[in-house]
Amino acid sequence: MFKVKFLAAVSLSCTVIIVVSIFVFSTNKQGDTQLVEFTTPFVFGRFQIPKDNPLTVESVKLGRRLFYDPILSKNNKVACANCHKQSLAFTDGLALSVGVSGKPLSFNSMSLVNLMWGPKHFFWDGRANSLENQALQPIEHVDEMGSNLDDLTEELSEIKAYQTLFEQAYGELNAVSIAKALANFQRTLISSNSPYDQFLRGEISLSPQEEFGRKLFMAHPDTKVSLRGGNCIDCHSQFLTSGFSSFFDGFSNNGLDDDENLAEGLFGVTKLEAHRGLFKAPTLRNIAVTAPYMHDGRFKTLEEVLAHYNSGIKRSKTLSPLIIEADNLADSQSQHISLNLAPHEVVAIISFLHTLTDESFLTNKAFSDPFKTGEPND
Amino acid sequence: MIKPFKIVGLISVLLLISVAIVWHNTVPKQLTLRFYPFLGSQPLVLNNEKYHNPGGEGVFTIRDFQFFISNLVLRSKRNNYTELESYHLARFDVGKAYYEIVISEISVSDFQQLVFSIGIDSTANGTIVIAGDLDPNNRMAWNWQVGYKFLLLEGSLYSQMKQQPLVYHIGFNESYTRLKFPLNSTIVSNDGIIKLKVDILALFDQAEPIDMNEIPKVKFDPEDVAKIAKGFQHFISLM
Repeated sequence: MFKVKFLAAVSLSCTVIIVVSIFVFSTNKQGDTQLVEFTTPFVFGRFQIPKDNPLTVESVKLGRRLFYDPILSKNNKVACANCHKQSLAFTDGLALSVGVSGKPLSFNSMSLVNLMWGPKHFFWDGRANSLENQALQPIEHVDEMGSNLDDLTEELSEIKAYQTLFEQAYGELNAVSIAKALANFQRTLISSNSPYDQFLRGEISLSPQEEFGRKLFMAHPDTKVSLRGGNCIDCHSQFLTSGFSSFFDGFSNNGLDDDENLAEGLFGVTKLEAHRGLFKAPTLRNIAVTAPYMHDGRFKTLEEVLAHYNSGIKRSKTLSPLIIEADNLADSQSQHISLNLAPHEVVAIISFLHTLTDESFLTNKAFSDPFKTGEPND
Repeated sequence: MIKPFKIVGLISVLLLISVAIVWHNTVPKQLTLRFYPFLGSQPLVLNNEKYHNPGGEGVFTIRDFQFFISNLVLRSKRNNYTELESYHLARFDVGKAYYEIVISEISVSDFQQLVFSIGIDSTANGTIVIAGDLDPNNRMAWNWQVGYKFLLLEGSLYSQMKQQPLVYHIGFNESYTRLKFPLNSTIVSNDGIIKLKVDILALFDQAEPIDMNEIPKVKFDPEDVAKIAKGFQHFISLM
């Protein structure tokens, strides 16, 4: 009865879709810009858009074109979309992405979804503190796009379509407006119509196996009260499935390496020893299409990921106590860290993870390549 | 004989002084509740400081410590101030050694009692409402069927040549604890600050001290939760 009451409450809340019209003081030089309207589930919670970069139709249109335009790279062959393909939830299917230099990069391509929620620090190691700050780093990185921002600005200013789009969106063409436009396009990449979302809205039921997996996902195991759990929710929030948004709560050491092999991770940003080896807990939205997994793409399948959490955890000084302690068998952790999930429980969790795939997001024309739909010269 | 104009002058001066005092005490200003974390007499130092297990052998470190303060009320004989959306997540890992709640535009001297709770009231704990620091997507949320952790304490215990994780996630409606503190002019500083001590050891160093070796983790077992939550009564005190 208790649970039914709660489910009803959540369903009711989720049906209250917030239609967002953002009214902020526009600092655009153009006075006739139009603010984007979009819908977002109530359960996603609060979000903020920078006051100096209002989410306008014009800025999103410009950002979308820039995102798909290889002109942003030094050799005019690599666009943002090369490593962020819509059909793969804006990842690239590679363990480590490859840019203009042809050398594998240090990290796996991150999915771009629901970026207005979750951690406020971007990249696997949190080195950018805003989407605007994030946007320029790949453009300038010698191995990713290798561009010089002054040269790029000059190149863009020679193209009539961009002259018009920048004028309409920001009134000026410079590195700042390039970053702002890319950030705003990424803000519109909202996924909220997966089967899990539909379940939360009370529109569908999950299969028994998916529901079993959902319950395991949402539970930290406690053998004292016979509660079995996959421990996923300790790092991935219940509705967004991303890392947590406050400060660096969305970063964790999930036991991939021992002390000898531990990468810097968040330590590289904060220089706090407690942050060594911590990486961003990514969103699990569309996780079934974003393989391979982890910051270095070491796991090819979700089965490998679950096997890691179930039996492959390596100890290190900053390993989360929640991971060490999480065990579905009483007092078995002294030798080997393991969730000790049964095989059918692993299958159920993976089954639930598949309910996070949002087909309408993966095929939404508003997020697609405008060069293929004849829109760039609008 | 004192002349009438002198009496009038004296009365006027006294009146002015009285008005000034009343004005000073009632003019709205900022009140700050500042919480300082301790373990007994030692200030909390995350990660690097080791503290004695209050109920047994060994020492322990604290990696993460957060808790909810809620439903803040200031009471006087004449009126009460009740904070709206009063859910504050106190934490001590974001650049300051203390956590503070600032209440703007309030006549501080009137109030005789400060009241707030540790945890989340059952109404808010049973919903996914977003108010104050309540956020169903944050670290303190278990899931919508269980509610919030009221207090999160995580670290490591070093005892008998071994290290083991400490995980105390204390929630449940039964743990919600209302605390009351008397207020007077000596407690509120001139700049409107009330200092409070948060003593983590109070959760363990009770009439029957809790040995972290025996209870290194508390999550959903109601009896264990109640044992730790009993310490909420003495968890916070005026400094």
